This record gives sequence, structure tokens and C-alpha cells, in this order.
Amino acid sequence: MADQTLIRKQTTVEPATKPERTSWEEWRGEVTALTRRWFLQLVRERLNLLLSITQPAIWLLFFGSALGRAIDRDAIGTSNYVGFMLAGVIAFTVVTNTVTGAMPLLWDKETGYLDKLLSMPIARSSLIVSRFLFQFALGTAQVLLVFLVAVATAVDVASGPVGAIVILAAAGLLSMALTALSTALAYRVPSHGTFFAIMGFVTLPLVFLSNAFVPLDSMPPWMAIVARLNPLTYAIEAMRILVLDGWDGSVVRALAVLGLFAVASLAVGAYEFRRHTGERVR
Amino acid sequence: MTRVIDTESLTRAFGERLAVDHLDLHVDSGDIFGLLGPNGAGKTTTIRMLTTLLTPTSGTARVCGFDVSGQPGEVRRRIGYVMQSVPWQVNRLLKAREIVEIEAALHHVPRHTRRDLVDEALDLVGLLAHADRTIGEFSGGMHKRLDLACGLLHQPELLVLDEPTLGLDVQSRHRVWDYVVGLRDKGVTVLLATNYLDEADRLCNRLTIVDKGSSVVTGSPTELKRAVAADVVQVATAAPHRLQAAIAGEPWVKNTVLTESNELHIYVEDASVALPAVMRLSLAHDLRLERVAYTQPSLDDVFLLHTGRELRDLEVGA
Ligand SMILES: Nc1ncnc2c1ncn2[C@@H]1O[C@H](COP(=O)(O)OP(=O)(O)O)[C@@H](O)[C@H]1O
Ligand SMILES: [Mg+2]
Repeated sequence: MADQTLIRKQTTVEPATKPERTSWEEWRGEVTALTRRWFLQLVRERLNLLLSITQPAIWLLFFGSALGRAIDRDAIGTSNYVGFMLAGVIAFTVVTNTVTGAMPLLWDKETGYLDKLLSMPIARSSLIVSRFLFQFALGTAQVLLVFLVAVATAVDVASGPVGAIVILAAAGLLSMALTALSTALAYRVPSHGTFFAIMGFVTLPLVFLSNAFVPLDSMPPWMAIVARLNPLTYAIEAMRILVLDGWDGSVVRALAVLGLFAVASLAVGAYEFRRHTGERVR
Repeated sequence: MTRVIDTESLTRAFGERLAVDHLDLHVDSGDIFGLLGPNGAGKTTTIRMLTTLLTPTSGTARVCGFDVSGQPGEVRRRIGYVMQSVPWQVNRLLKAREIVEIEAALHHVPRHTRRDLVDEALDLVGLLAHADRTIGEFSGGMHKRLDLACGLLHQPELLVLDEPTLGLDVQSRHRVWDYVVGLRDKGVTVLLATNYLDEADRLCNRLTIVDKGSSVVTGSPTELKRAVAADVVQVATAAPHRLQAAIAGEPWVKNTVLTESNELHIYVEDASVALPAVMRLSLAHDLRLERVAYTQPSLDDVFLLHTGRELRDLEVGA
């Protein structure tokens, strides 16, 4: 019974002469199923779930209260240290997520589970899109919580509710770009050892050679130049200005740079993924 | 009869070495077709090409009427594939039912029939009672049965099983065999890779013996064994070479092979003629016999005769 309906549907949707394609409905079903797999794994690990979601909020409180007193208010240009830190903590969170977020893809690849998935009639893109959706949802939950904590403690978002949404979008954009890059790396490397070696090498400089915790103006000139080349700086800049100062032309400029970075990263990610699955048939 | 698998000179090289070497396979609808061969024979590599996971170096393969390189998507829609070892660790936190549901969705099983099919599949392999346990708690046999349940969800035209009983205990092996027999009765076409003789003999109606990437011989188990001889006399003696020389040329001898364990296998049409003759000749040549037995030839004899090696030994060594 069941297979008859299935077969009839397939033959009407795609006669054998037409190039093979996944229908929109099928694609949505695939992405839903794969995303469900990621979420089930997360919710079964309670501690992982709890720490993942609350970590940025805890960091903000810790930095805000403990370090706040030790920081020179003039150097950061505001008396609101928590407000200053908010953008940095969000960016730091996104970076951490991208490292841990590529791990399941690495396991799937190394254990051979990816092969099993690739032998099924699914669009290659479903694999990546499901991971992006998962990362995006997790990231949004984290950022929302850290935002609520910030607002509850000391911070007034200068750009108002619309600004808050733009901040969320900027975090999402950054997350997408970095996830694309770490995904590309995960498919590229011969094994997870290399992946973690490269990630360990890159992440700290990425965060500390940006304006995450120190404003560009307080940096030695060489450092400020390096930080200007760091895409993280633009994401943080946009978010920080929206929190502290409200709407401003430089926000648009920073967001534009961030957008370009995201597009380039997605292209690299798509290329690497196709290359890796290309050793197989198409 | 429609052809479900059709390969022509299918070849795959890894660097210099040919893992699969000009393999011709023809599997008809309804066959339980065996790929029997020792470890490293190229069974998995063949399967990876047929399931569109690996590009052939040369040659062609059509599965369910579609070329694996030209229309891999069409092939994937029509096959079920149970890997040699599905890495369950990546899903260890998921429940058995969830895994099967996800697989069903990935095979585009329509939502309204999915629930029933999932239950049915779990029931078929005897896991319905364990459907809500996380698979991290499962035994090796249960993992394999879960994989088998997933292979059939979308009622594929071809089910590919790569060494489905490897490393299983006797009881679990029998459950898997029952499952394959059930498939045969339903008319599902199965490609079964194995290095167990008894498994191929028991389940397959046709098989190809593969060794070093090439097909050695193809036929039904009965045909293959019958072609070897009607009976095989196995003699253990301290001087097998001398015995081999002594019986050479006798009219009742079809063939002789000395195994790696130094047993002489004498292939004959009638053991009742051969046994007294062996006795007589060993007495005449003053050869002490340690053990004499006769049986019908097994697939091991088929392999031995064609390759000069024993599959059984290779198995133990592996
Ligand atoms: N990815 C690979 N790279 C290099 N050699 C491989 C690869 N996969 C298989 N081989 C080689 O190909 C041969 C056949 O292997 P395989 O198909 O796994 O045999 P079987 O499944 O019959 O045990 C072996 O010699 C194996 O080492
Ligand atoms: Mg194998």
C-alpha cells in the first residue's frame, strides 16, 4: 500500500527522462529529520545543553562585575562596562560555537556515518543546511539570554528594539560565516586532530586580535591594524555601537563588511563540501 | 526477469592496486545473490560503487536500470544499504524508534504511513519491545538488527547487505538468516556480501566467488559444488605428496588438491569406489593414513579448487 503511493508520487513528480531532482517537500523533510537528529543529541545531554545556553550570560555577569571595577572607564569610552562587554561576549560565544559545532560533522565523516547518509536519496545541501539551522537556533537562544541578562542588570540598548533585532541578525550573520568556514575545514582535514590543532591555533588570536575586550583606540598601532583586518572586529563594532550609541553610519559600514565576509565564507564552505562529497559520485 | 544489477568490467583502483578488477555481475530480480570472498577480496569496494559512494575507475554499473555514475540519485532512491559496520556511536543518545523514524524521513517515506512502517520494521527484526531505549544500551546483535530494520523501510528494489553477520554470536546470526529468508519469500532482491561459506550456501540462490578483486566463478551453490565433484575424500597422512603421486592418473580421480593444512582432498564421482582404492594404494605404497573421511564438496572446495587456497583458513587468519 505504502510503497504504491510512494511510487506513484515519484513517477508523477519526475518522469525518468527529466533530470533527477529532489522536490521541495522532500528537501524540507530531509532537513527536518536531520535537524531533529542534532537537537535530540543536544537535549539528551542535559549538562551540555545547560552550559551551552547559559555560558555567555554567565561570562557577561562575571566579566561585568569582576573586571568592571578594574577597567579604566576612559579607555573603553563608556561608564557602562557590561554594555561594552556585551558585543565582545556575543562574538566570543559565536566563535566557541563554531569550534564545537563542527565536531558532530567530523565524527560523522570519520566514523563513516556520512557515507551512510550519502547513500540515501537526499540532497547534499540538506546535510549542511540542517547543521546551520541547528547552530543558528542554539546561537539565537544563547544571545537572547545574554541580552536579557544584560538588559536586566545595567544595559539600555541605545538603538531600541529594532536595534536589538539587528544585533541578533549580526550575531547570526557572524555565526553563519564562521560555521561555514569551520565546516569547510572539517571536511578538508584528514582527521579531527588536524582540525583541533588549527582551531586551537586560530581562535585565540581571532578573539584577542579584535576589539572584543579592548577598544581599537587603546591598542598599540600594529595591533589595531591587524584587528582592522579581522572580520570579528566589524561584527563587534556594529553590535557595540548599536548598544552604546544607537544608530550611526559606521554601523551600516560594519554590517556591510560583515555581510561580504559571510558571503565569501559560504562560498568557501559550499566549495569544500562539494569537493569532499565529489570523490563519490556527484 | 529484470536485471537489477548489471556491471561490465567494473574496476576500481586505489593508487596502483586494483581493489576490483574487471568484475561482471548480473543479478536478476528476486535473486539472493552472494558475493563470497575472503577479507580484502573487494566486496565492500564493489558495493560502494554500486551504492554510488565511490566512482568506478573504469567499466560500467547499472543498478535498477540506472547508471551509477550518470544517475546516482535514481539509484539511491531504489536501494537499501546496510553497511558492514554502521557507526552507532554517533547516534548513541537516540532511541531506536527515533533512528528508524529519521531514516524513514530521509528515504522520503510519506508522513502518514511512516508511523506504521517504523513499527513494522522494528517488529520484523524483533526490536519493537526495545523501541524506546537509547541505542547506547544495545548489544552488537541489536545494533545489526536495527540497521537491517532501516534498510527495508522504503521497500527498496534492491537491498545490499555487507557482511550482515560479521562478529555476531550464533543466536544473532540465526536471526539475521531468518530475516534474509523472509526477504527471499517476499521476493526482495538482495546482494549479500559475506566471507562465510555456510551463510552463502544457506541463503543464496546464486553467487559469485571473488578473490583479489576478480570473479573466480559464478553459479548456484548446488551447481558450483556439483561441478567440483560428487564426493570429496579427505585424507590426512604424514606423506600427502606421495599419496597424491600414487593415485595420480587413476580413472576414478577427478582432481586432487593439497590444502594448506597438508590434507589431501581427492575429488571423485563416487566415494564408494574411491575409498577402497585409496586404502589399497596406500597399503601398496606403504603409506600410513591418519584420517580418512568423505563428504559432499562444500563451497570451500569450490574456492580451493579455483584458487588453491582455503577460504576457511583465510577466515581464521583474518
Ligand atoms: N579507501 C581505500 N584506499 C585504499 N585502499 C583501499 C580502500 N578501500 C579498500 N582498499 C583496498 O582494497 C582492497 C579490497 O578491500 P574491500 O573492498 O574492503 O574488501 P572486502 O570487503 O572484500 O574485505 C583491500 O586490499 C583494501 O585494502
Ligand atoms: Mg568488506
